[in-house]
Amino acid sequence: MKNLKNKILLVFALITLLGCDDFVTVEEPYFQLTGSTVFADKSTANAAMVDIYSKLRDGGLLYGSTSGSSATLGMYTDELVYYGANDANFFPMYSNALLSTSPLLSQFWNTSYHQIYSANAVIEGCQNSTGLTTAEKNQFIGEALFVRALVHSYLVSVYGAIPYIKTTDYTLNSVQSRMPISDVYEHIISDLETAVTLLPDAYISAERVRPNRSAASALLARIYLYDERWVEAANAASAVINNALYVWEDDIDAVFLKNSTATIWQFSPKLTGNNTNEGALFIFQTGPPTTVGLSTTLYTSFEPNDLRKTHWIAAVTNGTSTWYHAHKYKRKTNTTPSQEYSIVLRLSEQYLIRAEARARQGELSSAKEDLNKIRQLAGLPNTTALTAVALVDAVLEERQHELFTEFGHRFIDLKRTGSLDAVLPLTKSGWNSTDQYWPLPENELLINPNLTQNPGY
Amino acid sequence: MNKISLFPLWAALPLPKLFSIFLFFCLTVGYTQTKTVTGTTSDASGALAGVTILVKDKAQGTLSDASGNYSLTVLPTDNLVFSFVGYKTVEVAVGNQTVFNVVLQEDTTQLQEVIVNAGYYNVKEKERTGSIVRVTADAIEKQPVTNVLAALQGRMAGVDIRQDSGLPGGAFSIRIRGQNSLRADGNEPLYIINGVPYSSETTGATSTSGFSPSLTSPLNSINPSDIESIEVLKDADATAIYGSRGANGVVLITTKKGKAGTTSFTLNSSTSFGTVTRLPKLMDTEQYLAMREQAYANDGVTTFPATAYDVNGTWDRDRYTDWQKEFIGGTATINNVQATVAGGSTQTQYLLSGTYRDETTVFPGDFTYKKGAAHFSMNHKSLDDKFNLNFSGTYSVQNNKQPPVNLTAVSRTLAPNAPAIYDEEGNLNWENSTWDNPLAPLQSRFRSRTKDLVVNTLLSYTLFKNTALKSSFGYTDLTNKETNAQPSTIYNPAYGVGSEISSLYTNLTTRNSWIAEPQLHWKGTMGKSKFEALAGTTFQQQKTNRLYVNGFGFASNSLLDDLASATLKTVPLSDETVYTYQAFFARLNYTWDDRYIVNLTGRRDGSSRFGPGKQFATFGAVGVAWLFSKEDFLVGSKVLSFGKLRASFGTTGNDQIGDYQYLDTYSSSGVNYQGTNGLKPIRLYNPAFGWEQSEKMEVALETGFFNDRLFLTGAYYRNRSSNQLVGIPLPGTTGFASLNGNLDATVENSGLEFTLRTLNFKRKHFEWLTSFNLSVNRNRLLSYPGLETSTYANLYVVGEPTTIIKLYHYTGMNATTGAYEFEDVNGDGVINAAGDRKIVGDLTPKYFGGFQNQFTYKQLQLDFLFQFVKQQTFTSLSGVPGIAVNQLASVLDDATLQPFTAGGNSALTTAYSRYVLSDGAIRDASYIRLKNISLTYTLPLPSSTTIGCQLYAQGQNLLTFTKFKEGDPETKVTNILPPLKVFTVGMKLTF
Repeated sequence: MKNLKNKILLVFALITLLGCDDFVTVEEPYFQLTGSTVFADKSTANAAMVDIYSKLRDGGLLYGSTSGSSATLGMYTDELVYYGANDANFFPMYSNALLSTSPLLSQFWNTSYHQIYSANAVIEGCQNSTGLTTAEKNQFIGEALFVRALVHSYLVSVYGAIPYIKTTDYTLNSVQSRMPISDVYEHIISDLETAVTLLPDAYISAERVRPNRSAASALLARIYLYDERWVEAANAASAVINNALYVWEDDIDAVFLKNSTATIWQFSPKLTGNNTNEGALFIFQTGPPTTVGLSTTLYTSFEPNDLRKTHWIAAVTNGTSTWYHAHKYKRKTNTTPSQEYSIVLRLSEQYLIRAEARARQGELSSAKEDLNKIRQLAGLPNTTALTAVALVDAVLEERQHELFTEFGHRFIDLKRTGSLDAVLPLTKSGWNSTDQYWPLPENELLINPNLTQNPGY
Repeated sequence: MNKISLFPLWAALPLPKLFSIFLFFCLTVGYTQTKTVTGTTSDASGALAGVTILVKDKAQGTLSDASGNYSLTVLPTDNLVFSFVGYKTVEVAVGNQTVFNVVLQEDTTQLQEVIVNAGYYNVKEKERTGSIVRVTADAIEKQPVTNVLAALQGRMAGVDIRQDSGLPGGAFSIRIRGQNSLRADGNEPLYIINGVPYSSETTGATSTSGFSPSLTSPLNSINPSDIESIEVLKDADATAIYGSRGANGVVLITTKKGKAGTTSFTLNSSTSFGTVTRLPKLMDTEQYLAMREQAYANDGVTTFPATAYDVNGTWDRDRYTDWQKEFIGGTATINNVQATVAGGSTQTQYLLSGTYRDETTVFPGDFTYKKGAAHFSMNHKSLDDKFNLNFSGTYSVQNNKQPPVNLTAVSRTLAPNAPAIYDEEGNLNWENSTWDNPLAPLQSRFRSRTKDLVVNTLLSYTLFKNTALKSSFGYTDLTNKETNAQPSTIYNPAYGVGSEISSLYTNLTTRNSWIAEPQLHWKGTMGKSKFEALAGTTFQQQKTNRLYVNGFGFASNSLLDDLASATLKTVPLSDETVYTYQAFFARLNYTWDDRYIVNLTGRRDGSSRFGPGKQFATFGAVGVAWLFSKEDFLVGSKVLSFGKLRASFGTTGNDQIGDYQYLDTYSSSGVNYQGTNGLKPIRLYNPAFGWEQSEKMEVALETGFFNDRLFLTGAYYRNRSSNQLVGIPLPGTTGFASLNGNLDATVENSGLEFTLRTLNFKRKHFEWLTSFNLSVNRNRLLSYPGLETSTYANLYVVGEPTTIIKLYHYTGMNATTGAYEFEDVNGDGVINAAGDRKIVGDLTPKYFGGFQNQFTYKQLQLDFLFQFVKQQTFTSLSGVPGIAVNQLASVLDDATLQPFTAGGNSALTTAYSRYVLSDGAIRDASYIRLKNISLTYTLPLPSSTTIGCQLYAQGQNLLTFTKFKEGDPETKVTNILPPLKVFTVGMKLTF
């Protein structure tokens, strides 16, 4: 028995010896890196940057699936018809009856600002980094500024006045007020102008999946146009158009291939062999479509011989009815290797921007030249517009036919030209003029009293 | 000693026997006057088997056999002690007598003698200073349930348990004395199984389980029929010794142990049938189409849109299917078999049991939930009684195969004239792409497999008289593997996709933990003073590993279960989380004259969940009790048989915040871009958060009347949590939804609990027992400096509960448009949430409780338990009435509803969205439910045989009384499968 007692005492002594002060201090987890470590090294800083692109590709307003702006703004206007009957998110989008409690709108808002946070974290991380070279810092900061401007530009288009977030500091960000639209544009322009100076002219990646200086210029041209700064818009567009990297694509069927020389910036796919989300979403083989189809309004608005009507649109019929789908991207499923990437910025838009900017300034002949460049590819005769007003209208019509189902150009164009209320009620019985802005998510207004709601919600 | 009781020991454990022979030999050498005494043990109704007969102050004794006979070799100077649970102990001096026929008296005050498990120590019911409620195997066995929490529903004052859904393996939620933490996931109690903390954090990933059964509750691993007792610790006195983890209460689960006596085999087998409790009445096709047509007419739409297939004639307008019956109207069959073998000697006892259970579902299709569990327990004490060893182990395997889609939600919303599920050939019918076939997702296969091991060894050794060294060593090991295989056939063939888009989602979670708790216990008496003290320390580590691997693109759908066959594989998550925990704890208990008791407990805790400098905190409590019925002026009272006043005050804490939250980190996103795996920021960074403290106070009165035939208790408690550890909600503009931090707010939960137990009748053949419990809890935000400027400004109101929902005030319908209207509280001319949602609504129960009766007549026992809850809930319309979603049948003629709209009228749609967040949409969802009814018949077999046989019938949720017509009042939400109504028959055989 004595023996047993000793054994037991030994066991207890051993256990008690386990106790030491740092028992409750655990090591930093191997699967996580602290913020400062990430920006001490080029490859981890790069991983933080590419994460933002994957987030843009896989969520938020640039997402190519049903819950991205290509589909939602398409069905919100007169581009797309929504065929899914009773979905709580998309049916109100299609019938212009959005609610501030819509989970989809909260998701757009939160995802977008999370993308912006990630960009700000890269900017601050690089600024405080001692391990990165100046060139590396310029590259990442330039890209992050580009992303920050890009996401804000979509937010301002749908929500109107929004907070412009330039820091990761939650104490500041949690009490932000809405900034007038013109100020938001000022910030976007300032960010893009800085990005233009920081980013190199050459792509740092193959396949143009990372933005370069021209990508920043291209976006800048678009924003100048929206902000009605015609001179700057034309100049920024020219900077892209004159860049020898971009070669006009003469084959209408090659415009949306991943190697198109007219592409300025596109998303790298998630998995090897993936083609675009847009292709998967828009293409259908039997009718009626299960999600969305092109509206007859859009289809019938094309001129008779427009090649885009036959090459970028496909018809599906069951003998009695016919439905149309966007066919810019031709691949619905995977191929080996991938053939199409989701293109965010392409050369045609730059010509259209410059055409409009020039027309607005009265430079009619050069404007026509730009417009005709687009029309020629579509197999159409040169424009017959004679006046500046007619030419602007022609450009806007061209934009409808050139840029449909590409991240909501139609909605933004109708809005910036004040045409929403004139055009949409023709096909959308539920349209009200307050629908020009989406409601801010109700939960945001409850948490941040400095935010106000858009009228009509 | 009789041969029957010792026979298995000879076979199984010869060593103790040798020891005892040796001891007897020693004794025999020393004294020669030994003699053999014999006799019988009995009670009022006849022979009593299994009575322990011990020689006082010696390691010597025996048990009476099945006929109550015993024999024992003793000295004339010895005293014999006869004891049996539930009976008064009898002590006799041997002297010259050789035959002792002892009749044991039932101890009517046995209730007060019950030993209650308080975690680190045990305490007699009558002497406890803390608030502890207990449910024993007796009650648990009468309920055909699979989750241990289900067995407690309605039985414990202050413990609010709710079934989240009727899915097999689905979770329950539990709140002990209200919601302390503002953090939704910070209100879980601490679970301890045989001394081993058991993490109730769910496992699994939504990427695999998708909808159901949401995430897996580890509590399902615990087999209810292996449980001997469950104690819930509520107040500071009982929970402070658990320090940082005691704020939300502690649930102690003790599994069954073997008892000394002959080897007994028990076989318990039952079969149950379950159907959904309550289904609301929905519109039929005629009503539905009338609503739809009216909606379009109201919208001014004269030709139905091409996409309105339900109403424009694309779908058969005469077709009708009751989708609730089709999708959730089936009968679930539940089979349960348990075999137990138990026995042992006075020195060593063991129990081994195995359980197998399988459940089918109410859904169409082949879905099952299977559970196998093994339980082993062994107790041993050395002959000198100094060394004690308790070992217990449970191992369970669960295999759950559930539909990966919420069929309940679909059954309530699908148009009643929607097409047939299958075409004539039996293939899924896609009706020319006019619908997504709701059963198409059933082509995918969701499987969850959970293996769970919990073992514990408790060693104790008496060092000196009254001083014992104890240590508990525990280990848990949980593995949860989930797969969700989604073949391309879940998609409409119109998409033209094949197995190249088929995908397989898998996740593997392993969680293991160990704990060591060495302790020193001391007991002493000095005159009328009794002392008990213990001091101990805890070391605990828990490690969780998660690996999510997904595969995409398969050569064929038949290869879909093989991850290796996937063209592409991704690893969205691979991590390891370590949680370490250290504590020192102590208890000092002082009793004077069995009347005045003081209990001091304390704990100093360190947790790895906090950053440097914030890891340690100290908690403690004092509890006092006065057994006033022992005062001279009450002793011998004919009326009052027991009276105790007790009070406690102390602090506990909460560290349920998750691991590594104090670090500023990036982690791999598992998502590829340009061939690089991204690094994503995980959270907003706040290294400075620390412990949250809960201050608990309680005063209680416990009284027994007429020999405790009427036992009444009442308790008042007040818990205040401050320095709350919360995820402070942040606007989306910050990039994240919340920030971890301490909040300078105090939340108070105060309440009253009453229990009443009466023995209404007790005759030779008939007994009637009634118990009743009632809990009233009031939660309020006591103080919150800076609330107005915080992100909680529109969520909380000082003085009101933290569970409130702010609502619009519904004022009626617009005279011309018929749209709902609301009060413009701030008078700014527009209705919006921030300015006008000012009415305070609270959907937590006002009070709840249970009413239980037990009737015993000869061999027949009838038990039933009614559970009642007083509460409110929102009305459960499925969307704006008029859109292509089915509604309650009552919607059609409801004059209080605004005009239907097919979605085109945004004024009506907006008004509706406000209505469902207004006081106009609040409904009474109080209910009384026959939670459990059980009828047991014990076959009258001759007392000479050791065979016992019981036949039983049990029911769960058989009756519900409620005014709530829109679904089940317990789950309240209409798109979740309600709890099942279960009817069980079974047999228990002992031999």
